[in-house]
Amino acid sequence: MAQALGQPNSPVVEMRDITKRFGPVLANDRVSLDLWPGEIHAVLGENGAGKTTLMNVLAGMYQPDSGTIRIAGEPVRLDSPAAALRRGIGAVYQHFTLVPNLSILENVALGAEGGFVLDLAPAEAKVASMLADFGLDVSPRTEIRHLALGQRQRVEIIKVLLRGGRVLLLDEPTSVLTPGEVQSLLDLLRRLRDQGVAVVLITHKLGEALAVSDRVTILRAGRNAGDLGPDVMSGADRESVRARIIAQMFGSSPAAETDDSSMDHLPSVIPTPPRVIPTKEESRRPSRRRPEEPRFLADARHDRGAPAAARDEPTSETLLSLRNISTLGDRGAPALHDLSLDLLRGEVFGIAGVDGNGQKELGEVIAGQRPVTSGRVLLEGADITNRGVAAATRLGIGYVTDDRLHEGSVAESSVADNVALKSIGRKPFSNGFWLNRRAMEQQARRLIAEFDVKTPGPHTPIGMLSGGNIQKLLLARELALEPKVLVCNKPTTGLDLRTTQFVIRSLREQANAGNVVVLIASELDELIEISDRIGVMYSGQLVAVMPRAEADPETLGHLMLGGARRPRKASA
Amino acid sequence: MTRALSPSRFAPLLTSLAAIAAALVLGGIFLALRGKDPLAAYGVLVSRGLGTSYGITETLIRMAPLLIVSAGLLVSLRSGVWNIGIDGQLLVGALLAGVAGAAIAGQVPNPVMWLIAALAGMAGGLLWALVPGILRVRWGLNEIITTLMMNYVALNVTSWLVKGPVKDPDVVPPQTRLISREMRLPDVAGTGVHVGLLVGLVVVVLVTILFRHTVIGFMLDVVGRNRQAAIHAGMPVNRLTLVALLASGAMAGLAGANDILGVKGLFQGNWNPGYGFAAFALVYLARLNSLWLIPFAYFLSFLVIGGEMMARPLGIPTYFVEMLEGLMLLCFAVAAWVERMRSPYARAEEVETGPANAGEPPGPLISEPLLEPVARVAGGPS
Ligand SMILES: Nc1ncnc2c1ncn2[C@@H]1O[C@H](COP(=O)(O)OP(=O)(O)OP(=O)(O)O)[C@@H](O)[C@H]1O
Ligand SMILES: [Mg+2]
Repeated sequence: MAQALGQPNSPVVEMRDITKRFGPVLANDRVSLDLWPGEIHAVLGENGAGKTTLMNVLAGMYQPDSGTIRIAGEPVRLDSPAAALRRGIGAVYQHFTLVPNLSILENVALGAEGGFVLDLAPAEAKVASMLADFGLDVSPRTEIRHLALGQRQRVEIIKVLLRGGRVLLLDEPTSVLTPGEVQSLLDLLRRLRDQGVAVVLITHKLGEALAVSDRVTILRAGRNAGDLGPDVMSGADRESVRARIIAQMFGSSPAAETDDSSMDHLPSVIPTPPRVIPTKEESRRPSRRRPEEPRFLADARHDRGAPAAARDEPTSETLLSLRNISTLGDRGAPALHDLSLDLLRGEVFGIAGVDGNGQKELGEVIAGQRPVTSGRVLLEGADITNRGVAAATRLGIGYVTDDRLHEGSVAESSVADNVALKSIGRKPFSNGFWLNRRAMEQQARRLIAEFDVKTPGPHTPIGMLSGGNIQKLLLARELALEPKVLVCNKPTTGLDLRTTQFVIRSLREQANAGNVVVLIASELDELIEISDRIGVMYSGQLVAVMPRAEADPETLGHLMLGGARRPRKASA
Repeated sequence: MTRALSPSRFAPLLTSLAAIAAALVLGGIFLALRGKDPLAAYGVLVSRGLGTSYGITETLIRMAPLLIVSAGLLVSLRSGVWNIGIDGQLLVGALLAGVAGAAIAGQVPNPVMWLIAALAGMAGGLLWALVPGILRVRWGLNEIITTLMMNYVALNVTSWLVKGPVKDPDVVPPQTRLISREMRLPDVAGTGVHVGLLVGLVVVVLVTILFRHTVIGFMLDVVGRNRQAAIHAGMPVNRLTLVALLASGAMAGLAGANDILGVKGLFQGNWNPGYGFAAFALVYLARLNSLWLIPFAYFLSFLVIGGEMMARPLGIPTYFVEMLEGLMLLCFAVAAWVERMRSPYARAEEVETGPANAGEPPGPLISEPLLEPVARVAGGPS
C-alpha cells in the first residue's frame, strides 16, 4: 500500500538535521537531504563521511538521534525497514539479501504484504513482465544462485519496486559490477527516474555520478558539505563540476586545485596527500611529503624506466614463478588450467578478466590458500608449492582478499586483533605462546595514523568501521608485513578517490622497491595506469600477457570475453 | 542503551538477566496453573537455598562440576565447535577415574591418587571426544551429530563395563569399588565444601587466561568467529578445531573425576548427572564470557538445590527446575535475537548476510555444512 508520494513540484522525502551518533562517533551531524520524484540523487563523500549511515536512517534501519524525516510533507517515524518500505522507501544493499536457493519469484514475494501466504501464481506474471522489462532473460522460477551478481542486483531492485517502492536507495551498487553491467544499471536507473522514481546513488566513482545524476549532495565528516542542483549538473562543463565536487568532498578551496584533467580516475586536484608508508626506520619519525613534491603519478612514470630496462635478464629478475598450475575452484570444478607465469622484481603485474575466470583462484594459489592439483610454485627458485598460507606469509607473500567482510576480517574482533591476525604467532605480537597485547595495540595505532583510518580507536570492533576504512586496514596489514610478493584482489573497491590514489601509490612504491605486486582489478583504466605488464585471464588460463604500452581497454575487453589472442602476445 | 561502540561491558548481561526473569515468570505461571502459589514457592526456594547453611554448602558443592564442564564447553563453543557430547565424555571420565582411583587408593599418598584419578578422568573424556574430533577434521562429519551419538555409546559402554569387567565383585549392584570417605577430596578449611570447587574456579581462571593472553586462545576465537578468516590468515584450522573439542572433552572428564573423588566415591551403573544441558544454559547466559560463568553457575546450582528442597514439602514436581533451565535457554534465545535486531552493531550492510554474530554464540547451528570442503589448505605442511 504505497501511498501517493507528493506532487512533482515538492520533494518526496525531506530529511532535516538528521543526527546519528555511534558512541564517540558522530556519523551524521545535522544532515539534511531532499529527494524529488524523478531524480537521480548522488550522495558523495570520502570514506566514513556518513553516507551509509544516512541511507540506513532513511531505510528504517537506524533511528536518528534527532532530526525529522518527512515523506510527502508528512512527518514520519521509520522504525524498521518494513515501515520504510510501506512508505515507499526501499534499499538495495551492497551485500545482497536474496536467498540463493529460492527462485526469483519466491524471493521477490517473500515477506511481502500478506505475510506468509505463499500464493505465488498472481505475482508470477507480474514478476515475469518486470524481468523482461529489466532486460533479464530468465524465468521467475530460476533460482537466485544461478544468476550473476548484476542480475541479482536487478532482482533486488524489482523486489523494492514490486512492493511499491518509489524511493530507491543504492549503496555503492556498481562496486560489484563489471563495466558492462555498470552501463546497463545506469541506463536502468535513468528509466526509473523517467518513471518518477527518486533514486539515491551512493558511489565513489565520480564518473558515474556525473553521468547520471541530476543532483549531488556531498557529505564530509558527517555534515553536509555541498549541494549541486540540476542547473549545475546539466549545464556547466564536466571538469569544473568535477573539481568542485572533489574540493567539497575533501575540503579544500577550489582555488588550490590544479589542472591535469587527463587523469580521469585519478584526479590530481586532491589536497593533502596521505602519508607514505614508512619503512621500519622511518616509522619512528614519520616523514611527510610536502605538497609541492611531485605527485606520485609523475614519480611512477619516471620510475618505470629503470625496472623496465633492467628486465632484459629475466632469469635473475624472476621472483615468483608459476609453472603449469592447475587447480580446482570452491565447487570442485577446474578453475586454473595449466597456467604458467613469471613475475619479475619491481613490476606491478595487472590481471584483467571477467569475474570468475580464475583470477581469485590464482591469487589464492600464490598466497598458499588454495592447493594446486598440478604444477609448481617457485619463490626465488625455491619450491613452495602447497606449503599453505602460514608458510607463504612467513616467506614474504601477502594477499589482500576481495572479500573483506567474510574472509579478510573478523567483524566482531577489534581493529588491533585484526591487524595482528596474520602474524599473531610471531614477534612482536607474541612470543609464540603469550600474546603481547601492547604491541598489537601499538601496531594498530600506527596503521590507523599512517593510513588515516577513521575509527574511534584500536579497540573498536572492525565491523563497525565504514567499508572503505576496513579496506584500508586490510591493505595496511599486508604492507606492514613488507611482503616480497603482494597479491591484491580489487584493493580499491569502496575506497574514495583520495584513498584510491594513495593505495595505487603504495602499490607502485612497493614494486619500485624491488618487490612484485599482482593486481587483480576490474577497472581497466586503473589497471593500465599502474601495471607494468597486464595479463588477461579467460576460463582459467592466461590468454595474453602484454606490456602496458600495448594495453588499451578495447584490446583487453576483447580478450576478456574470450576473443582471439593477438599475434603479438608476449610469452609468459 | 546498547548503541554505544563499547557499551558497558555488562550490557550483554541484561539480556541474560531478562531471560532469567522471563523464565521465572513463566515457571510461576506453570506453578499457578498447577494450583500452587508461585510466590510462596519461590519464597521457599530462596529461604531454603540461600537462607540455610545446608543449602549454601550443597549449592557450592554442586557448582564445582558445573564450572568445570561449562568452562570446557565454553572453549569449544567459542571455537565454533558444538560439543553436544559433554554427558558421555563425563561418564567415561568418571568411570576411568573411579576405577583408577579405587585401584591405587591406600597404596599411594592420597594427593597422588587424586592426581592420577583426575588424569584418568581427563583421558577418558578426551578419548571420547577424540572420535568425533577425528571424524570432523578428517572427513568433515558434523560434530553435533557424532558427539550426540557418542553420548548413547558412552551410556551403554559404561553400564556394561560396570556390570562386568570393572564391577566391584564384593557387592550386588553394578558399581566400581568404593573409595572410602577418608580418601576422598578434603573440605576447604572451615566449610563442608570439598576442594573440587577450587579446582573449578582455577579451571575458569585458566580458560580466561587462555582467551585473553595466549596465541592459541586468540586463534580459537578467530576460528569460532570467522572460520574463513582463520583459513585466510593461515591458522591451522583443523588442528584448532580438534584442540577445542579435545579440551572440552578432557574438562568434562575432569568434572566426572571431581564428582567421584569429591562426592560419590564410586561409579554406579545408572548414574548420569546430565550436566550437559545445564552447561549449555550456563555458557549462553554468561555470553561466552568465562568469568561470568561463576555467578551464573552459582545461580543455577542454587536453583537445583533450592528446587529439590522446595519440591518435596510443597509437592512440586522435581522436574520443575529442569523445566526452568529449559525455559531460560528458550527465553535467552528470544532475548538474544531481540538484542541482535536492535543492536546497531550488526552493520546494516551485513544484517542479512550476518557474518557478525555480534558476540553471539558461535557458528550457525543449522546452516553449519555437514561436509566442509576438505581440499582447503589450512596452513602448515599438507
Ligand atoms: N553500526 C555502527 N557502529 C559504530 N560506528 C558506526 C556504525 N556505522 C557507522 N559507524 C561509524 O560512522 C561513521 C560513518 O560511517 P558510514 O558507514 O556511514 O560511512 P560511509 O560514508 O558510508 O563510508 P564508506 O565510503 O567507507 O562506505 C564511520 O566512522 C563509522 O565507523
Ligand atoms: Mg558506506
